[in-house]
Amino acid sequence: MFFDWMKWFPENVSTFGVGVDALFEVIYLLCIGIFFLVFGLGIYFIIKYRFSPTRKAYHYHGNNLIEFTWTLLPTLLFAGLGVYSDGMWEDAKYKNVFPKGDLEVEVLGQTYLWNYRYAGADGQFGKTDRSLMSAANPFGIDPNDPFGKDDITTVNQMHAPVNKNIRIHLSSVDVLHSYFLPNMRLKQDAVPGSWVDIWYNATKTGKYELACAELCGSGHYAMRGEVFIDSQTDFDKWMDQQMMAKMPKSTQVANAPAPVTPTVDTTATTVPQDSVAQNGGSAR
Amino acid sequence: MQAVTTVPVHGGEEHHSHDHAVDHGHEHHQSFITKYIFSTDHKMIARQFLFSALLFLLIGGAFAMFIRWQLAFPGQPIPVIGHLLPDTWVTDGAIHAGFFTQLLTMHGTIMIFFAIIPFQVGLFGNLCIPLMIGTDDMAFPRLNMISFWLTPPAGIIVMMGFMVDGGTAAAGWTSYPPLSAIAGSGQTLWLIAIFMIGFSSIAGGVNYIATILNKRAPGMKMFELPMTIWAIFITAVIIVLGTPVLAAALSMLFMDQALHSSFFLPDNLVTVKKFAGGGQPILWQHLFWFYSHPAVYIMIVPTMGVVSDVLATFSRKPIYGYKAMVFAIMAIAFLGFIVWGHHMFQSGMNPLLGTTFMLSTIVIAVPSSIKVFNWLGTIWKGNIRFTTAMLNALGFIGTFVIGGLSGIFMAAAPVDIYIHDTYFIVAHIHYVLFGGSLFGIFAGIYYWYPKMFGKMLSESLGRKHFFWTFVLFNMTFFPMHVLGIGGHIRRVYDPYVYDFLKPFQDLNVFISICAFGLGLAQLLLVINIFWSMKYGKKAPRNPWKANSLEWAAPSPPPHGNFDRPIRVYRGPYEYSLPDMEEDYLPQWIERTADVKQAEQSGQHSAVSAEFSSGGFAPKQENKH
Repeated sequence: MFFDWMKWFPENVSTFGVGVDALFEVIYLLCIGIFFLVFGLGIYFIIKYRFSPTRKAYHYHGNNLIEFTWTLLPTLLFAGLGVYSDGMWEDAKYKNVFPKGDLEVEVLGQTYLWNYRYAGADGQFGKTDRSLMSAANPFGIDPNDPFGKDDITTVNQMHAPVNKNIRIHLSSVDVLHSYFLPNMRLKQDAVPGSWVDIWYNATKTGKYELACAELCGSGHYAMRGEVFIDSQTDFDKWMDQQMMAKMPKSTQVANAPAPVTPTVDTTATTVPQDSVAQNGGSAR
Repeated sequence: MQAVTTVPVHGGEEHHSHDHAVDHGHEHHQSFITKYIFSTDHKMIARQFLFSALLFLLIGGAFAMFIRWQLAFPGQPIPVIGHLLPDTWVTDGAIHAGFFTQLLTMHGTIMIFFAIIPFQVGLFGNLCIPLMIGTDDMAFPRLNMISFWLTPPAGIIVMMGFMVDGGTAAAGWTSYPPLSAIAGSGQTLWLIAIFMIGFSSIAGGVNYIATILNKRAPGMKMFELPMTIWAIFITAVIIVLGTPVLAAALSMLFMDQALHSSFFLPDNLVTVKKFAGGGQPILWQHLFWFYSHPAVYIMIVPTMGVVSDVLATFSRKPIYGYKAMVFAIMAIAFLGFIVWGHHMFQSGMNPLLGTTFMLSTIVIAVPSSIKVFNWLGTIWKGNIRFTTAMLNALGFIGTFVIGGLSGIFMAAAPVDIYIHDTYFIVAHIHYVLFGGSLFGIFAGIYYWYPKMFGKMLSESLGRKHFFWTFVLFNMTFFPMHVLGIGGHIRRVYDPYVYDFLKPFQDLNVFISICAFGLGLAQLLLVINIFWSMKYGKKAPRNPWKANSLEWAAPSPPPHGNFDRPIRVYRGPYEYSLPDMEEDYLPQWIERTADVKQAEQSGQHSAVSAEFSSGGFAPKQENKH
């Protein structure tokens, strides 16, 4: 049961995750090999050289050639592993190496919820100002900037198209959080005061769970979000709905082919923090 | 130099003529307080560290039991004691989320700063250094006393958090700001306590370095030190270089937290407006891990030495590659200072640093594997006696290997993206800190208890303790790797909020049940220690027929340790010499070429006369 570890992983749905799982398996097989070598030798020695009153131990202080060999072999092995890993690491986290985003989203951790901001119809994020940041306006969107008026913000729910490079600008408004998408093999701490870029490309539609992986207070465990990977058409439809909801009533009637009812989760820019914590708490 | 004072402390000791060295003149009239409480005798201080660390080990273990209960049976009342706990901790006997974060913070804090480090540094450092280098006491006995007496107040201060509003520190043992900086007075107490315990470490560290460099017995070269002393020496260097950085970081966080400065706090935190801002949260992580990664080695290197000595003694063989082992520890200590960033791969630091730290971290696997291979080389062709100390030392190697291998996963930064902050890390840290350090500590306790207390520990109770600890330890912590692979995040009050973690509840129940058993099994050790103190078999001078100098002293050693002048003639690992009948040749026994020749020709020699007399009679000649 414990030897087939790969089956315990949650399903991988990102392009990058394939490499992570493969590297994990390489290291795992390597470790199994070393484990059996060391434990095999150890147990063999323990049994073979157990106490006997008639035998005397071998007086031997060691051999430099052997020391050298078993220094060099692990060095080469581990150096190879390091070089192999580094390429993947650069693909995952180096801003100038990983692909440009087909969709860019800003994500802000806030004690116990996740805020998202999409650029909206004009495809451009509105100006933000740190001094405007508040619980009601966590991004600090400047209300006077026209680009900001159509920005779409959501809480705890993210939609993204399948098979597209999603680039996330991540930060936090209060304490450290960590953006963890197990199925995408993606994790990055959200640090207040600085923005970090990460990316993924999901290969399968569906609903995935998002967890906070960095202790952020007593409600840390309940800082759960959902990520919906939609087909491009579903995603566009969802995006249209969001834009409709954002527009003033008059233009909405004029432009919209059919009235759209905004869903609760998407328009809310504020969720009382206590209620979130309590909802999580009362889940059990 | 080396004026040896012999003061009979226990009635059973033979009476030697007094050599009235001036600085020891007062010790005949020790009151209860100077002998048992504010003692400057390194052996008494070692006992004090043993008992305080044991107490904190049990307290920290009890916290772990609460944590395991909550993870297996979330929201259910704790049996028996649940309803006795105050309302600020529990509702109807079930643990609060806030109390849970306090528990996990205090579990880590108590275990690391008040149990493992005091065992490693306080107990082994104090007990072993003067005895194993053949001297009467530490270089600075009063500093030594201070280093112990900072520990109980620090422990009381950190535990007082349970009595203040808002409870104890609850930001994890790593206390990352901003969470720690915006916390209440429990966090203040935590910062003060850790500062004090750091000071205790530094006081111990400088003392150890001075003692080992200056007070070795005549004739003892650095490369004739036992591995334990080398390990403690290098650990002391790590402490002296690393702990001041922690002290600086703690001071800065204290100012942020109590005085609202902003070293670690950026502008305009939404929920917290009382700070000026302009700081950087990641700076804390750099400073903290610059100490705390080397601290990981503070927590394991001394037991690496202990285990090396135990293996050599009970395999009746020299350490395989003594110098390679010493250089490996030095390499670990050096590399330990340039790998701290591997705790921060996902922290938001420049990913270029991720590459650097990944490479240095992977390199640190090399000296660790050198040590494992040398340990295997040591038992190879030995004549292994399975005493409890040896069993624990072998258990140490097994768990250390697993802990080391699981470390490779997180050293590879891309894999760490996924397993960081999951139970894979929890499994790894417990394999090296419980499986590694604690089995090594047990080995050391069983090995030196006869010298400490003059009584043998019960071997049969010891074997039971080892068996249950080893089995239940692996059953508790090995499945945590599986949880981690499943994505089970750390420090969560109720993992089953997440759909993808719901299937793991059964495994969590299994782990918790094993953990409760593991906790109970530790009572065997406590019982053994206290029972044997009164009823144990009286220990001879050299019960294990070992070579290092502590076995030249009576058990327990009197004040001043040795009842004869000590001179060192060779390294500590001359076991099973082919030209001798006995399978050991202690460091303090003179063996001239003539004697050797005489022995080879089968004649009765002075050396074998000493062996046959059993207790190694004091040498007559005085080297002063």
